[in-house]
Amino acid sequence: MAAGRGLRLSPRYIFYSMDERLKLIIIGAIVGIFGGLASVALNRSLRYVSEILNTIRHVRYAPLLPAIGAAFSSIFLRHVVRDLGAHSVPEVIYSVSRKGGLLRLRSSFSRLVSGFLTIASGGSAGPEAPVVISGASIGSNIGTIFNLRDRQREVIVGCGAAAAIASIFNAPFAGIAFSLEVILGEWTIINLAPIAIASVVGTEVSRILQGNQIPFHHRIFHSGALDLVACIGLAALTSLGSIILIRLLKMAESHFKKVTSIFWLRAALGGLIVGIIGLFLPQVLGEGYEVIRRVIGEQYSPGIVISGFATLGKIVATSLTIGSGGSGGLFAPCLVIGSLMGLFYQSTIASVFPSVMWAGESYFALLGMAGVLSSVLQAPLTGIFLVVEITGGYDFIVPVVLVSVISATISHYFEPFSVYHQELIRRGELLRPRTDARVLAELSVMELLEKDCLLVHPEMRLKEFVSIVQRSHRNYFPVVDSKTGSFLGMIHLDDVRPYLFNPGLYESVIVGEIMNTNIYTVSPDDELADIISVFDREHTWSLPVVQDGKFLGLISKATLMDHYRKELIVQEEK
Amino acid sequence: MKNQLLHVFRNTPFGRETLLQSVYFCRMTKTPINVYIPEFPQFLMYFEKEIVTVDLDRAFLRDPETAREHAEQIIRSQGLKPNFFTPKRFTASTLPDIPVDFRYMTCPRTISNLSTKVSLGYIGPRVRNIIKNASFPVIIPSPVYKEWKRITVFFGGSANAINAFKAGIKISQLSGLPLTLFTEIEDPYTEESYRDILRENMLYDEIEKGNVNWLFFDKGRLMEDLYNVPHDALIVVGAYGHGLIKELFFGSTLETIQSVLPNSMVIVGPNFL
Repeated sequence: MAAGRGLRLSPRYIFYSMDERLKLIIIGAIVGIFGGLASVALNRSLRYVSEILNTIRHVRYAPLLPAIGAAFSSIFLRHVVRDLGAHSVPEVIYSVSRKGGLLRLRSSFSRLVSGFLTIASGGSAGPEAPVVISGASIGSNIGTIFNLRDRQREVIVGCGAAAAIASIFNAPFAGIAFSLEVILGEWTIINLAPIAIASVVGTEVSRILQGNQIPFHHRIFHSGALDLVACIGLAALTSLGSIILIRLLKMAESHFKKVTSIFWLRAALGGLIVGIIGLFLPQVLGEGYEVIRRVIGEQYSPGIVISGFATLGKIVATSLTIGSGGSGGLFAPCLVIGSLMGLFYQSTIASVFPSVMWAGESYFALLGMAGVLSSVLQAPLTGIFLVVEITGGYDFIVPVVLVSVISATISHYFEPFSVYHQELIRRGELLRPRTDARVLAELSVMELLEKDCLLVHPEMRLKEFVSIVQRSHRNYFPVVDSKTGSFLGMIHLDDVRPYLFNPGLYESVIVGEIMNTNIYTVSPDDELADIISVFDREHTWSLPVVQDGKFLGLISKATLMDHYRKELIVQEEK
Repeated sequence: MKNQLLHVFRNTPFGRETLLQSVYFCRMTKTPINVYIPEFPQFLMYFEKEIVTVDLDRAFLRDPETAREHAEQIIRSQGLKPNFFTPKRFTASTLPDIPVDFRYMTCPRTISNLSTKVSLGYIGPRVRNIIKNASFPVIIPSPVYKEWKRITVFFGGSANAINAFKAGIKISQLSGLPLTLFTEIEDPYTEESYRDILRENMLYDEIEKGNVNWLFFDKGRLMEDLYNVPHDALIVVGAYGHGLIKELFFGSTLETIQSVLPNSMVIVGPNFL
């Protein structure tokens, strides 16, 4: 009987005793299903509502639509679900970077609804950011249900993001690249397997429910060496466009905050301006996939001036929509901007060099999409895979790589960080795996505290102090008030060396006279990365840790380095 | 873990009473106080398995210009040094992260609803969520400032009750106040069963040393027996039972206690360290 019970293997037991990689793959597949479903839900709703709203885009009050949508989106986020998070993707990166991949359950649906309201009403944003946070949040919460450790949950968050991108674009490679390049920032085999599975599952869910379609079909290109040379110019142009977009986004965000503190009014104002721009340039409204489809299909030839204005219009509209507090992502606007920019570029070179047989508008439009996306995200692989997959353009991978890499490199010079990472880097919150900052972030001052120091008091005579020095194995002696216990200063062995060999001073010198009161102290809440810079700046090996004026212990450079090494080993093993 | 009590300050007369309770607790247990004066209507607490989003009621953001001064006055009047917590990390620019490594945290019965909803029998969902996830005990003060002169721990034999007893001993040792253990005997247990539980957990020493007065009630009428709890006792009680349902909702003993007793309470959750 007992033996029978001992041999009984429950599914729970089997699952928890499974190889870690296999376990993550299974959970990744589950997350892939839900991430895919979230993407399909948003995609379908957007298509359905956009079709209805397109019939009233010409009426007089049409410019109010994006304003109403943005206001409702904002009110929904703030008051209905009370989700005051950051822009979706940075929040996911922050959670992976700092919080072991923990994301709130409400984020799995809140941004889908708010993104839907913003985009369907005509706001210039894409559905990818909402589906990324939704997928990531689903992953995080499923990871918690399965009792995963922080590092494992981070991978599952990456699975959710990958599944969402793969599903919404029917592009599994782009999902994998985005997750590894932008979200996790780490290419390891343990990450790759579950993310790849989640990405494939997410894509399959989308294919089952929406059909296996390449979103933007293009005709066959006949490109030559001159087209390849022209790509360099396009790369420069797309990087310029990306820099303008990134800077306008930042400007819009800071300026709208000054205009009014009422968040929904801010979003509505941004939406209204977008609506007015849309009266003259309807291409700027919504996610803009129809514009891309027409440009790629070469059914849209507005000429140099209009395509130039449309490009600028889309850049401004996107900055206003997202900068004013609307909900949505940058992928789709980047693709639209890139395609219009490619069109503008092709029209320009065709008029300057009319005798050259250029490859065609759609060729440059596709390359423009890859260029802008790679620059804005500072993620060339994501840009390359996405454009190749959504256009089925495996035959022109060489120019895509060329434009993506050159464009990302040029824009990196002016805007060194991805639009998703900028804010986190400014706050010192982007901690990539296996970097110094990440390893140090896992340690705390209290873990490194050395409490075995002998305390001395200011009224103590040198004679007593010398006897303490003889008993101690340390060079630092904290001085504390004998009544209140408050920290007063420190004595380093070097400070007393001149007195040590002069017994005549033993009775006449007191500790208070020789202590160093100009000591830099640290608190238990300080970041270790900051403490290391203090060590360097102060040229010291030990610092006193003080809280509420009380001495807690010493933190030394040697102990810190020792723990750093141990933590590095632990992280490698994880 | 920081040896501090976290108090989220509400700059209202009700908030003053709550802060006075926190200050009294800190004074009695020699624990430094750390006051957070919110600037935003929400903050996040990243616990090990869950993020708790705390939506603050509007009163927490009232009169920010006088909040610090009021808090300082109250803390100094009790002879303590005021420390103010400034969030270092933000999930978003208006969404600060509050650390979860404090030794204690004070929560009024409700933190997200207006203080008019504060009443016996009601503990808000956010406060329950904090208790469920926190590794620190949560102090739920009585609505009006009242000093406590003794400590009463409710002990029903569960893992959380054992944690409550540990927390109670600690508070008793720090404050020097007498500790009473209150046990409502439930079938099929006897007095000895409860003693055995403490022995198994190596906590019986405290009883043997005579540091704890243990009261047993065997009538099975908790509501009536609660009348024996002194009005000036700090109640220490464990939250949550073992099962899924009990993990979602408080155990019935706690519900009864918090519905009947107007005393200040320390609730020890399942993740207490």
